[in-house]
Amino acid sequence: MPIPAGAPIVVSVNGLVKSFGPHRVLNGVSFDVRRGEVVVVLGPSGSGKSTMLRCVNFLETFEGGTITVDGAPVGYRSDGQGRRRMLDEKMVAENRERVGMVFQSFNLFSHRTVLQNVMMGPVSVQHRDKSEVRKQALELLEKVGMAEKADQYPARLSGGQQQRVAIARALAMRPAVMLFDEATSALDPELVGEVLRVMRELATEGMTMVVVTHEMSFAREVADRVIFMDGGAIVEQGVPHEIMANPQTERFRSFLGTDRPDRGARIA
Amino acid sequence: MSISVLLANLPYLFQGAVVTLWLAFIVVTAGTLLGAIVGTIASGGGRILRAIVTAYVFIFRGIPVLVVMFLGFYTFPALGIRLSAYAAVTISMIVYVGAFVTEAVRGAIAAVPAGQVAAAKSLGMRRLTMLREVVLPQAARLAIAPILNISLMAIKQTSYASVVGAWELSFAAREIVERTLAAFQIFLGVMMIYFLICYPISLLANFCERKLSFDH
Amino acid sequence: MDWSQFGSFAARYLPQLWNGMLVTIAVAALAAPTAVAIGVVLTVPRVAGWRLLSGFVRAYIEVMRNTPLLVQMYLLFFGLPILGIFWDEITCGVLAVSLQHAAFLSELIRSGIAAVSPKQWEAGQAIGMRRWAVFRQIILPQAAIKVMAPVSNQLIVLVKDTSLVSAIGVLDLTLSGKVIIERSGASFEVFILVAALYLILTSVIGAGFRISEARFTRRLG
Ligand SMILES: Nc1ncnc2c1ncn2[C@@H]1O[C@H](COP(=O)(O)OP(=O)(O)OP(=O)(O)O)[C@@H](O)[C@H]1O
Ligand SMILES: [Mg+2]
Repeated sequence: MPIPAGAPIVVSVNGLVKSFGPHRVLNGVSFDVRRGEVVVVLGPSGSGKSTMLRCVNFLETFEGGTITVDGAPVGYRSDGQGRRRMLDEKMVAENRERVGMVFQSFNLFSHRTVLQNVMMGPVSVQHRDKSEVRKQALELLEKVGMAEKADQYPARLSGGQQQRVAIARALAMRPAVMLFDEATSALDPELVGEVLRVMRELATEGMTMVVVTHEMSFAREVADRVIFMDGGAIVEQGVPHEIMANPQTERFRSFLGTDRPDRGARIA
Repeated sequence: MSISVLLANLPYLFQGAVVTLWLAFIVVTAGTLLGAIVGTIASGGGRILRAIVTAYVFIFRGIPVLVVMFLGFYTFPALGIRLSAYAAVTISMIVYVGAFVTEAVRGAIAAVPAGQVAAAKSLGMRRLTMLREVVLPQAARLAIAPILNISLMAIKQTSYASVVGAWELSFAAREIVERTLAAFQIFLGVMMIYFLICYPISLLANFCERKLSFDH
Repeated sequence: MDWSQFGSFAARYLPQLWNGMLVTIAVAALAAPTAVAIGVVLTVPRVAGWRLLSGFVRAYIEVMRNTPLLVQMYLLFFGLPILGIFWDEITCGVLAVSLQHAAFLSELIRSGIAAVSPKQWEAGQAIGMRRWAVFRQIILPQAAIKVMAPVSNQLIVLVKDTSLVSAIGVLDLTLSGKVIIERSGASFEVFILVAALYLILTSVIGAGFRISEARFTRRLG
């Protein structure tokens, strides 16, 4: 389903520059994500995909460029004289509420049950009514197929189950956009499908998503747009069936070529 | 050499043991509280605060507790604060134990996995919320065994209070020995009393070390 | 006290304290190797798996771990004469400190050895080495690296614990401070000097341990 060009922009990244010490990791990355759009980010290891996602949630500082989510600046604002000022903690936290993030390593709170994990954000951050949150949390757990494990602790769950709970936890905040950083990379092959299925469902429901993944089939079949990153910059982007069938650069071609067929063939 | 002298003096020793238990209880509770607060603040605080806490920990972990007790014993009166030997020892030990607990708490907080913090942040938690909901509950688990071991150390160290002149179990033992000259029986008996106090705690510490260090 | 005069104050009492410091160093220098030696001996039955002896060692360790060093020292110093054994205060002090720390050291060494993967034993035996050879050439060097840091820490605790010999009359750094205050009427700042000297002693020793640890690990690791 094509995203109308007039749909409002949810995430806007402009000239993003980020270094770790002397090592420049992001070198002027720019792209917009419109409401309802699913953007899949591809790229070789070390190309800066995770770092870029983490910047959108301001889990990393960055030294150049701007990011906005729902129009609000992420991390920095410019003061009257055009200097960059870091936003205060409150503003940073408010921005993060609008952004849901799913990590490669799940990062469920190990001291809380599944249900408590999902309820924690809405209750302790958004101060929403507990019984209402509970109802919503159970619905979300139902949706990701984890309702019957609501009272278990994360350590007792498989990786795939943990990741589905992590998705529910992020959704409970009612974010404007969901970021997935290699959500299936840490999973045993037989568990990848159950997580991808949830992600597909979200996409069809119209959730705005930025997905870093190595799952080529997911990119091909779910993405509205594919971005290929290499060396801290966007090298190619476009509609998946066009650019993946017909890569314009040697780097993207060899990236697609080296992708192991067993990974690409896996379908949720 | 008979054991009857020990039996005859057991009631007096038990009085001393009660004082020892009280002293240990106050020192361990207050020291743990102090260390938990200082350790938590230091983990979140700025550079200057961290440096001050580092100095506190470094200094008190680097000198013998007996010297800290003497320091308290001689310093308070010199500053015009009249305290009993008992009070001076208690305060000194609280500060001393606090330094050890501070270190344990800092270590436990630092050991909370970075992913947990990233997840908390990405939910929009601010520092205090994150501390309350995620960091402290997880750090507490990791800190329990070290704090129990510190408590064990502190209980044994309360006996040093007798050197500074505070009356407790060891002091009582020395009084009895001076009277009866039955040093061997009395000190052996006193060791047994200390053992009865300490052994359950060291069993608990061992248990927690095994149970709480790994994620179930 | 007028802190501008702290310098002359320090100069007045430092020589006396320095003598005490030398005694403290001497006690520690005697007790540390003794404790390590006893600790190693205590470890042998447990590593070798001699059931009865290990049982005794474990009981010994529990007693040492769960009773105060001060009372142990009193038992040696005041109690042994009743059995007809007369040792001077330095001997009793050094012995008490050694016996207590030997227990902790043995426990550290044992867990260091246990922490070397059992696969290493199998690997050694697979290439035809005898048990003892495997232990000496494969297990021990790896265990040594693992236990260096905890053993160093324990020995620093030992240095601090030597202050208890003051309680049976050894004129060490702690007792020197007390004597100066009570005999020459000096003020409490003497104990700030005492504390500072202990702090210097433990940090110098700690730094020494860290340096040799780094060397040792580089050579063996
Ligand atoms: N915290 C950090 N400190 C220093 N360097 C870092 C840090 N995090 C990432 N880097 C470096 O930044 C570069 C980009 O890393 P990033 O994790 O963003 O890559 P990626 O595209 O997500 O790779 P992968 O597919 O392996 O996850 C890498 O060279 C990495 O070594
Ligand atoms: Mg990555």
